[in-house]
Amino acid sequence: MDPQDKTSRRRLLAAGAGVIATTAFGRAFAQDVNLPFANGQRKLVAYPEKRPLIVLTSRPPQLETPWEVFNEGVITPNDAFFVRYHNAGLPGPIDGDQHAIRIGGNAVAKPFSLTVAQLRSEFKPVELVAVNQCSGNSRGLFAPRVQGGQLANGAMGNARWAGVPLKDVLARAEPSDRARQVTFDGLDVALFGGGDFVKALDMGHAMDGEVMIAYQMNGADLPFLNGFPVRLIVPGHYGTYWVKHLSAIEVVDREYDGFWMKPAYRIPDNACACVEPGTAPAATRPIGRFNVRSFITSVNDGARVRAGAPLAVRGIAFDGGLGIREVAWSADGGQSWREARLGPDPGRYSFREFTFGFTPAAGAHDLRVRAWNRAGHSQPMEALWNPAGYMRNVVESVKVTAA
Amino acid sequence: MKHRIAAALAFAFLATGAAAATKGIDLPPDGAQLKASPLPGYQKAQAHCVACHSAEYMLYQPASAPRPYWEAMVKRMQAVFKAPVPEEDMPAIVDYLVKTYGNEQAR
Repeated sequence: MDPQDKTSRRRLLAAGAGVIATTAFGRAFAQDVNLPFANGQRKLVAYPEKRPLIVLTSRPPQLETPWEVFNEGVITPNDAFFVRYHNAGLPGPIDGDQHAIRIGGNAVAKPFSLTVAQLRSEFKPVELVAVNQCSGNSRGLFAPRVQGGQLANGAMGNARWAGVPLKDVLARAEPSDRARQVTFDGLDVALFGGGDFVKALDMGHAMDGEVMIAYQMNGADLPFLNGFPVRLIVPGHYGTYWVKHLSAIEVVDREYDGFWMKPAYRIPDNACACVEPGTAPAATRPIGRFNVRSFITSVNDGARVRAGAPLAVRGIAFDGGLGIREVAWSADGGQSWREARLGPDPGRYSFREFTFGFTPAAGAHDLRVRAWNRAGHSQPMEALWNPAGYMRNVVESVKVTAA
Repeated sequence: MKHRIAAALAFAFLATGAAAATKGIDLPPDGAQLKASPLPGYQKAQAHCVACHSAEYMLYQPASAPRPYWEAMVKRMQAVFKAPVPEEDMPAIVDYLVKTYGNEQAR
């Protein structure tokens, strides 16, 4: 079988069956899924509090959401929400009430410690529906390929988060005028002490009233693997900032430059966050807000549909927080476009459902959807490229055959 | 009266969200092992790489991954993550990785 055949067979498997059982005896519950790129065969395994998810890595766990979940509704169920750790030192058992967050740093007057029980009872709670998306979501689809976690499009999810504005917690520590950044650390650790996962936000961002310390996800405690009992929610921003098992917050008078801020998680410092394939950027900046994306969820690439029968198509769109204004669809590879209907608006940080219908004539159809946000930002027709494989948001193609 | 107080307390409790229990985690076993090889770096990778992380990190890289990528990763494990990889073992580990998972695989 030549590589081209292999690729098309994989695409067929991914599109058609979605999930295929392995034939290995004694592994009745182990299943495989084929992601639509070379070397994309993965196992589906049910981790604690999770349904079977696509295993990118076992240890530390990195789990991708199977694509069909996104067609179930705009909220991603907790047991299907993607998981991404950086270090293998996961915390031991955590008391969901007595777990404490230390708030300190050299730019606060009154450092203090706060249990989750206090966080729940002493601050005014807020709720927000927001998408979390891995910086490297869809990395496996980059062409030319780049190294790193080879994900398809499932390292994203949308949940209703309940918690407390970070601003209110920081205010109690009385930050000084010297405050420049706020750093966030969780209970997970690197096994040999180097490369602890610590992230930083600028002080103004941390105090914007939207960044939240969340203790609930879709009305329930956070699953352990999504950061129980508290994680940072940074609406509209890539998941790298959403620190799990949050345990230490420091307000500091400088720019924090630990490994996970520099050189990791940086993008080309230009308008498109892109460079010519195969080249390195001249300058970089920390990754920030999501760009605009949209996906058809009800029909898979490679699907066969009935010619002459009306086909109802559904999907989701989102952006970095301005909100989706319009979604257009095409059945001819982008030659002509029509407007899709938008579903209810759960908030500007949420997935937004869209629908459209068309009656395919016999033959091949190249379905595409393209979203615009309220600032008129959209998606490129040709994929942009950067060496770390971040921020893919090309107009995707879903090829179907009607017969 | 007692009942009313109890009901009010129960309501307050629910309104602030039920108290979270204690949670821990037991992870399933690794889903992949390093590919066996006669190359001397295989045993060294067993000792130094998969001590910290599972083998999918190597297994799922694109086959185009060149030698400088594997070199950079092994150096990062040592320099950033403080993995105790002996300096003299590093060339053999890189050689095993690029010839097993990267663009120097036998075709």
